[in-house]
Amino acid sequence: MASDKPTILFVDDEERIVRSLRMMFRADYNVKVFTNGFEALEFLKENRVQAVISDQRMPSITGVELLREVRNISPNTMRLLLTGYSDLEAIVGSINEGEIFRYISKPWNADEIRETVAKAVEIAQSLEQVALPANRDLAGAGEHLLIIDDDPDTASAIKQVVEEELDQPHVVEWAVSVDSVFEILERKEIAVVISEMHLGERDITPLIKTLKRYNPNVVTMVLTSFRDASALVALINEGQVHRFLPKPVRRKLVAKSIRDAVERYRALKAAPQLAKRHQVEEIKKPADSGLSNRIIGFMRRLRTA
Amino acid sequence: MSDLSSLLVRTEPISPDHLVNDVAEIFSSNDYERFLCLPVVDGGRPVGTVSRHKLTNIFMTRFGRDLYGKNSVTKVMNPKPLVIDIKQAMERAALHVSRNIGSPITEDFILTDDGEYRGIGFVLDLLGAMERQIERRNVELSKALRNLKESQAQLVQSEKMASLGQMVAGVAHEINTPLGYVKNNIEMTREGFRETGNLLHAYDAFIRMISSETPDEDAITRQMQVIEELRQEYDEVFPEEDLISIYDDTLYGIEQISEMVINLKNFSRLDQAAVANVNLNDCINSSLLIAKNVLKHKAEVIKQYDAQLPTIACSPSQINQIFLNLLTNAAQAIEDGKAGRIQIRTWADSEFVYASVQDNGKGIEKAKLKKIFDPFFTTKPVGQGTGLGLSIAFKIIQQHKGTIRVGSEVGVGTRFLVSLPRKSRIQAAF
Repeated sequence: MASDKPTILFVDDEERIVRSLRMMFRADYNVKVFTNGFEALEFLKENRVQAVISDQRMPSITGVELLREVRNISPNTMRLLLTGYSDLEAIVGSINEGEIFRYISKPWNADEIRETVAKAVEIAQSLEQVALPANRDLAGAGEHLLIIDDDPDTASAIKQVVEEELDQPHVVEWAVSVDSVFEILERKEIAVVISEMHLGERDITPLIKTLKRYNPNVVTMVLTSFRDASALVALINEGQVHRFLPKPVRRKLVAKSIRDAVERYRALKAAPQLAKRHQVEEIKKPADSGLSNRIIGFMRRLRTA
Repeated sequence: MSDLSSLLVRTEPISPDHLVNDVAEIFSSNDYERFLCLPVVDGGRPVGTVSRHKLTNIFMTRFGRDLYGKNSVTKVMNPKPLVIDIKQAMERAALHVSRNIGSPITEDFILTDDGEYRGIGFVLDLLGAMERQIERRNVELSKALRNLKESQAQLVQSEKMASLGQMVAGVAHEINTPLGYVKNNIEMTREGFRETGNLLHAYDAFIRMISSETPDEDAITRQMQVIEELRQEYDEVFPEEDLISIYDDTLYGIEQISEMVINLKNFSRLDQAAVANVNLNDCINSSLLIAKNVLKHKAEVIKQYDAQLPTIACSPSQINQIFLNLLTNAAQAIEDGKAGRIQIRTWADSEFVYASVQDNGKGIEKAKLKKIFDPFFTTKPVGQGTGLGLSIAFKIIQQHKGTIRVGSEVGVGTRFLVSLPRKSRIQAAF
């Protein structure tokens, strides 16, 4: 067996799926397949693995649970979910707990999955030598947080959480329109964006995605009552959203998520290469291409300034 | 709504001073032909009525006219006439009239407004008006009934769509998995086929080389190396035993998909008679396959079928729908992470065929159990149920002249028992 090939793991309780995938990837990778998630975790403890691609619905352990464990055991391993279910809870779990790189739907497209896995492996390999920043590097005074939401109650609830639950003096900015988002980005270096998915009638997910695309250090959280599986999947693949939280604001949850997000932001700042792990996919359906173009134009200006 | 003023006949009343003879005079004039009685009004207020019937009776007795003719009407009038306020509803007026009127009908009624005399109303007119009103009501009622039936049909339809949606989602997921690997396998083997072609071309070139009249030994050696490399690569990517299993998997997957499609057809019975002789075991099996996606990873299904179960005449698509509903409910009642168990039994006696579906889910409280077959009653979270599934099941079973019963204990589980008559005459399906 060619041991110089990168190692990837496929986990699915349907053995025919993993057999098929093994054959598909065996030319370029050292492919290990498991129909039992716990065995996959055992393997991971003993071996260097670049990517784990897991099914969601399995009898002994769900994909989200598995990928959360993968994250603990081997943080450098890229995590992908391959599933036929667009079950909302699983998608939210894969964001908040699994912190996955991509969500791939079954039946998959051969070229797309090859490309996605190649990308994930390439990122894992390039970061193998990059040490994760030590905790002391993550200390800091306050950061700028940006709330994008046209509901004043939500904004004031978040501000209150930041003031009362967090130790550090973060500065909270609040934007109620795309224009004011631009205006704030021009003035301030934003660490964490806490955004709704809609402003009024307008879908602002292109804004969230483009922000991440052109500003990879920014850590985004989505806080919304909107629940749509396909929109969420797009926010993973095209926006690498760090947390997805339900409305109304739950204090402890929001506080913990902001702490995590700030920590992530500082880690990315200390070791900018790490941002690769959260590289986003090309936006597939620019529902509001006018908005996307405006944002892209703005981002270009901002970076050249 | 028509009111009493439409019945008002403004007629000049007579005063208490009028003599009986005067009144007789009035009655005999053509203008008063329709009048059964005349109102007697004093100071604007009705004090009585004088009826034609009464006068006739008097005048028919011997010397009646001579004895009474010169008397004032107050002697012969009815001092307690039917008086109705004109602002009253027609129905209440009609009720009052019908309760107080004598037989034969010899008088009409007086209409007043706040006690002031306004005129009289004919009982016959009142009857006519009432009849028209009832007719209008009837039209309204039948329209309301039609609307109600339509909206009920719509509800039944929406429940059907909901369970259909559930079924389609389940089947789609069931087909998705084999579809995933079948598609991938075929794409890969197509690629492999191209590789095989390259290998064949290399062999062809090799054969041409060695069968040449002037063989070039170096070229042949090089070609052998090319072949060797191609061969190694091919074996590495497409090992023979893997290829065989890939083909087996593909055929297996296609078999799975066609089984699902056949089952879908069996379940919906779109191309079969609405009423047929079927075995309940088959119905349950068909529903189990459709519900597979919901039950998988959730509960172990234990079947205790009566192998000799007699067939019954029923509407199989409806019966399948009921079992799918019961199985889905059972699966949803089992909490996540619990070792679920769904026990299905079938048996028969001389009159009925029985099927029971029992789960070890969270159970239903007594108070809720009573309402379980009521339309719109649901214990499920919003979006998980229309609250119509069991009420429709109840209706279907009723039409089949069977029964459906439920028993439940919180924390232990729930059991549904369906019985269907062996000799059934089912009513028209809805």
